[in-house]
Amino acid sequence: MSSLNDTPAPDPRSRELVPAAAFFLPLVALGLLLPAYSLLAVNQHLLLAVNVLALNFCLGLGGQASLAQGAFCGMGAYLSALVVSACPESAAITLPVIIVVVFVFGALVSYPMEQLGEGFLAMATLGVSLIFTNVVLSLPELTGGGEGMVLHVPITLPGIGALQGDRLHYFLFLGLLALGAYLYVTMRSTRLGRALMACREDPLAAAACGVSRPRVRALAFGLGAGLSALAGALYAHYAGFISPNQFDLHLSLKALLFLVIGGPGRLYTPLIAVLLLETLLSEAQLLGEARTMAHGLLLAAALLFDPERRLPGLASLVPRSLRR
Amino acid sequence: MVLLYLAQTINSGLALGAVYGLMALGFSLVYNSSRLINFAQGELLLLSGLGLFSLTQAFSLNPLVAIAAAGIWGLMLGMVLYATTLGFSLRKHPLKQLMLTVAASMTWQGIAILAWGKEPLMLPQMLPFSSVRMGPFFFSQDTLTALALAVGSGLLLSLFLRHTRWGRAIRAVSMNPLAATLQGVNPRKAYACTFALAGLLAALAGMAVGPQTMLRYDMGLGVGLKGFVAATLGGYSSLGKVFLGGICLGLLEALFILTMGAELKEAVTYAILIVILILTPHKERQTARA
Repeated sequence: MSSLNDTPAPDPRSRELVPAAAFFLPLVALGLLLPAYSLLAVNQHLLLAVNVLALNFCLGLGGQASLAQGAFCGMGAYLSALVVSACPESAAITLPVIIVVVFVFGALVSYPMEQLGEGFLAMATLGVSLIFTNVVLSLPELTGGGEGMVLHVPITLPGIGALQGDRLHYFLFLGLLALGAYLYVTMRSTRLGRALMACREDPLAAAACGVSRPRVRALAFGLGAGLSALAGALYAHYAGFISPNQFDLHLSLKALLFLVIGGPGRLYTPLIAVLLLETLLSEAQLLGEARTMAHGLLLAAALLFDPERRLPGLASLVPRSLRR
Repeated sequence: MVLLYLAQTINSGLALGAVYGLMALGFSLVYNSSRLINFAQGELLLLSGLGLFSLTQAFSLNPLVAIAAAGIWGLMLGMVLYATTLGFSLRKHPLKQLMLTVAASMTWQGIAILAWGKEPLMLPQMLPFSSVRMGPFFFSQDTLTALALAVGSGLLLSLFLRHTRWGRAIRAVSMNPLAATLQGVNPRKAYACTFALAGLLAALAGMAVGPQTMLRYDMGLGVGLKGFVAATLGGYSSLGKVFLGGICLGLLEALFILTMGAELKEAVTYAILIVILILTPHKERQTARA
């Protein structure tokens, strides 16, 4: 993480090649070796991983804990279910339009909320998440309501053809992760990324240095929303069935949970945390209903036993009683 | 006919509004003293209600004993919540404290599932009220119980905050923790006290809401969030206004159900929350953050 007055490294991206290879190559090998049927479960973890990465844009870089990630993912899924199913041949045009729509929506939601501060922002985004679920539930003619809707048509791209199959989608989600990671790394070393990190470390100082906090944070929020929406759209057509409770608060909470466990602001540890822990937890049948508790305890353990690295901010250097 | 609908709306609105008011009081007590948004507020209600349910299965309680048992159980839960979240992390970043209450909320929900299962449980009505009819209006047993519990505990709470040493300490810490520390108040004790009080209020709210809607493992977040909306409506500053915020929210929700159906009710409520949050002045919040 470079601060403003560091001398620029020769090429910040070349430093990122080794960790990227260490993360992605085993996953590529796994995708080639595993039998196709077992990729079904892995793909669901990958969807969560993309959401975690998307949340990392606003929490890891901008320091804003949002609980609306599931809503953005679901928005992508439902929009694409409605639009792409109507005319599957034009997916190459409509899919980007959907992503842009969700990007703009995310940015517009975030812009006025920037001033709220951590706790109130979390509550307001929680509201966004619940509003999404409720709107989907209350429009049963359009969305199928609580019963969900079945999608018959795969996404068809010109030159590639229909997107079908477990293995293909595994690599599509992996590609999304790679795209997100590339965006993240690039952003970290640009003016925008540095402005975001300044907002995270000290909002007041950042504003005093001329950073337009609502604007940069809205951009980060929107980017995360767009990435989530693309993942949601892919997933909707892959699974062939979507219902509101796939994209409800649990998805948002899980994304936040694994990001905090892995350390917001880091790129690969949260993703590894998702893939490993989710696989372990879904294997552990004996946990059964207690999975929520396991999630809660994991989060608490991550928060308690790791010193200040988990969450951004230097405020811990100042005693709490002097901070008002 | 219209009058009958209206009477029904007012009746059910007041019943839920009193519960929201109690939750909102607990929420704003904790927020005002420690500037922490307590995500696990709803789980306090859930676990205290479920504990009371087990108690009613084992013994037959008379009303006063039931209130006392609920209060003590709620106080204990509040202390446990404080010890496992804010008490651990007083000097940490506010975001970390917030995430700890999120973790507590998930863990407690898991405990509720493990100990009481996923089936909704009906808490029996414990106070000996009978429904009252006044001209065109009527108030059911649930409504009267909820109102009695809420108004009674609200009045006691305001007396406590005004006239006891502990209450004055809490108010001093809410105004300025540093100045309060210099005057010999231990802010940690004040924070713990507000959590315990929030637990007590949540336990009474659980007693009021249990016979109305039953207790389910996943109700905590919804009720807690409604309490937050009510506290935001009331503006966090005075007990009376915060409680009135709860009553208003209950009545508004009942009105939404009457006019546009139950599905859109929640969406409209949360939309109102977001609009109020964005539009209200943020002077205090910004000084708290800076």
